[in-house]
Amino acid sequence: MRADGTAPGRPAPDGQDARDLLRGCAREVVDVAEGIRAVSARTSTTLFTPALTASARRRPRTGLPAQWALLRALTGKQGLGGSAVTAPKGVGHVLGAAGEVLGRESLAALVAVTSLRLRIAAVLVDHPEFVRDPGMRRLTEAVTTDKDLAAVRSLRALFRDQGAQRALSGLAPLMAELLAIRALLDEDPHNDETGWALATGRELSADPLHGVSAAHLAGLDQGEGAAEAVALTDQERQVIATKGSFLGFLRNIEMLSTNGRILLQNVRGPDGVVRYVLQAPGMAPGRPRTDSPQDFVGAWRNLFLPDSPYTRSILLALRDYGIPRGADLALIGHSEGGIAVMNLAQSEEFCRTYRVTHVVAVGSPVDNKKPADPRTWVASITNQHDIVPVLDGRGAGSAFDPHPNWYEVDYTGPTHEFPLSHMLHEYIEHLRTVVPEARERVDEALTPYRGPVVRTQAYQLKDRANPPEGYPFLTLPTTSLPTTAGPVDVPVRYYDSSAAHLCFPVDADAARALLPGVTWMTPSRLGRRALAVLSLYEHRCTTIGPYTEISLSVLVDDLWRPRPYDVALDLLRRVDLRRTGRYVVSLAVTSEEARAVAREIWGQPAVRVSAEADLTGRDLAVRSPELGLAVDGRLGPGARCPEADWILYGRRGESTIRTLVRAHGGLRLHSGGGIRLRLDTGAAEPLAGHLRRLGIATARPRLVLTCPQFMLHRSAGAVLPR
Amino acid sequence: MVTESPHVTSYDAELLDRAEALRADAELMDEYARRLRATADTLAGCPAAPEWSRPTLQRQAAACITAAEQLRAAAQALHTHAAAGD
Repeated sequence: MRADGTAPGRPAPDGQDARDLLRGCAREVVDVAEGIRAVSARTSTTLFTPALTASARRRPRTGLPAQWALLRALTGKQGLGGSAVTAPKGVGHVLGAAGEVLGRESLAALVAVTSLRLRIAAVLVDHPEFVRDPGMRRLTEAVTTDKDLAAVRSLRALFRDQGAQRALSGLAPLMAELLAIRALLDEDPHNDETGWALATGRELSADPLHGVSAAHLAGLDQGEGAAEAVALTDQERQVIATKGSFLGFLRNIEMLSTNGRILLQNVRGPDGVVRYVLQAPGMAPGRPRTDSPQDFVGAWRNLFLPDSPYTRSILLALRDYGIPRGADLALIGHSEGGIAVMNLAQSEEFCRTYRVTHVVAVGSPVDNKKPADPRTWVASITNQHDIVPVLDGRGAGSAFDPHPNWYEVDYTGPTHEFPLSHMLHEYIEHLRTVVPEARERVDEALTPYRGPVVRTQAYQLKDRANPPEGYPFLTLPTTSLPTTAGPVDVPVRYYDSSAAHLCFPVDADAARALLPGVTWMTPSRLGRRALAVLSLYEHRCTTIGPYTEISLSVLVDDLWRPRPYDVALDLLRRVDLRRTGRYVVSLAVTSEEARAVAREIWGQPAVRVSAEADLTGRDLAVRSPELGLAVDGRLGPGARCPEADWILYGRRGESTIRTLVRAHGGLRLHSGGGIRLRLDTGAAEPLAGHLRRLGIATARPRLVLTCPQFMLHRSAGAVLPR
Repeated sequence: MVTESPHVTSYDAELLDRAEALRADAELMDEYARRLRATADTLAGCPAAPEWSRPTLQRQAAACITAAEQLRAAAQALHTHAAAGD
């Protein structure tokens, strides 16, 4: 089966027709789901009606069978399903909640999920590129399984997995469907309404997913977050726009970059009135940051949690800037900045304090927000290939338009690749060349702000609400080192990785032959054998971007004073005191940045290849067609192990490079019987050659160490004088 | 001496109404099953339709039929109870 769930060999679907047909079917199915839900609700009401309860007590001979028949209709696994019982409180509420928690979905929810799965299939007709996406593989497994409950279980596991959420963030056009499925399937009955609203296209009434509620904003006096007035650099002052205009404001935001600053300006309009403009940048795409809330993880979190330190910090900045009560204020935001300014605009108290005349959100997921002041003019500019704006639930599968009065431009930009499609400079360029009419329209609306800028002040926002990503393990001092792929901060930090280390006893002479031609580097011996380790990694979120890694290493002794049993003794030592380590004889990675770092900082012989890895479950699967390598099989029972920090050795010129690797996550030791390594006959050097020389080209490992989800960091390589 | 609750009659009338509503809901569930099967048939002609979609919709249609039968049984039991009176 292909990733979109269709069978191979079938003719390619006729795009438009197939998509429309799937969407039409999805609409029909969700209508049915709503109907079933209403039937369940009415049946629940009948079961718990005081008329039946009272009369059954008086006439149990006929009353109890009636109650039993109703309960059976509501809870039968083959009928309306486990959690079909709906009641606001009492026994009915407990029964319904128990059904959800026990994973027995109601028939209505299952039918709604079928509709959403059909919508996903419709989106995949247009987006075959998702087949290559790391999140897609797991999503596909979940949505294409033939059994409802297996699909439900897979989807639930997927949405509980933080790492998978990051990977899924790449599936923007499916986000509405994913959010709805998540809300329908999770154990929290309180967000079911949200799931149903997303599934059926109704307007969201609750606000569990989207930013800060108005009530929350009203109590900001005690809130966290901070804002500090900071000076712009001389260079920044030269590029700041001196006259108000849409592109000028956007260029200011671009100049601020995404290091946690916002800009406030006074503009004297053509009518001589001084007005105020808030300009809020977005998140830094691609990598997590630790110095501000403006990263993808933060944006994702802000969409799911009713908490936004960004919005609270902006309020503090506005207060410090001293905008008079009732003054005209325009809010311009990009990405997460757009969410933040819309959060402000939908606060009644904020709109009572200032007259919010305009909100312009560029590349922002703001569709489910609504300004408190109906006079506020709202514009939303989005590129269809930008994944961020659909985080709020209006994806490509959606046919709903919640804001007919907004000025909305959802254009098809020439930039398809995320994060490039989300970058502000791309939006600015597109507003100049692709959709100039949108720029003109917004400029026209912003006419009262199109005058000379009379005051400019930047504020540094600080996030005290959430600890940095990976805290405290990955909160480290870093140094920037130059590489041919650009500067790289070391230690390199891995926020979300999976790994499997396949351990093979090998002939010691064969292992020795793979080591550098120096006398002082010898393979560690376990009896008469050496140990080779084939390490497979799936790095989903790192400071050098996501990539897959396949490395072959050999355990080596202390470079200066090799002793027998060094390896065993070293296991008892702290990692930084260890003398033995693994010499990396071959390394394949899937990104240029990772290749450059491995070669230039760690001295490892990295090559760039394509590879796919799935190391998160008991079934391991790694394939690299270019290497001719495949590893697959099912892990047997395992036992917990201490966390595996280790030392890696590489070579640069005449020096050995020692790299300290520290890991944090549950490591398990398995026998290797169920895992098989296979090499195509024509497999390419160097990895395949090394595996053949070690005699493990088709072997089963003796042991497998696995870690389905963990964090690690790798230090800059220390150059040893040997 | 046994005293009669003043609400018994109105309760029974309400229960009879609810039994009728259950029967109507059972009809609705039959209709939903028909619509799900019709959707499955529509998807059968679409090469881009996922393989899981037809069996899933057929299974859910079957669940609608089962639910309809159970609702009818519940309606009958409720009717019997309401008609029994005191």
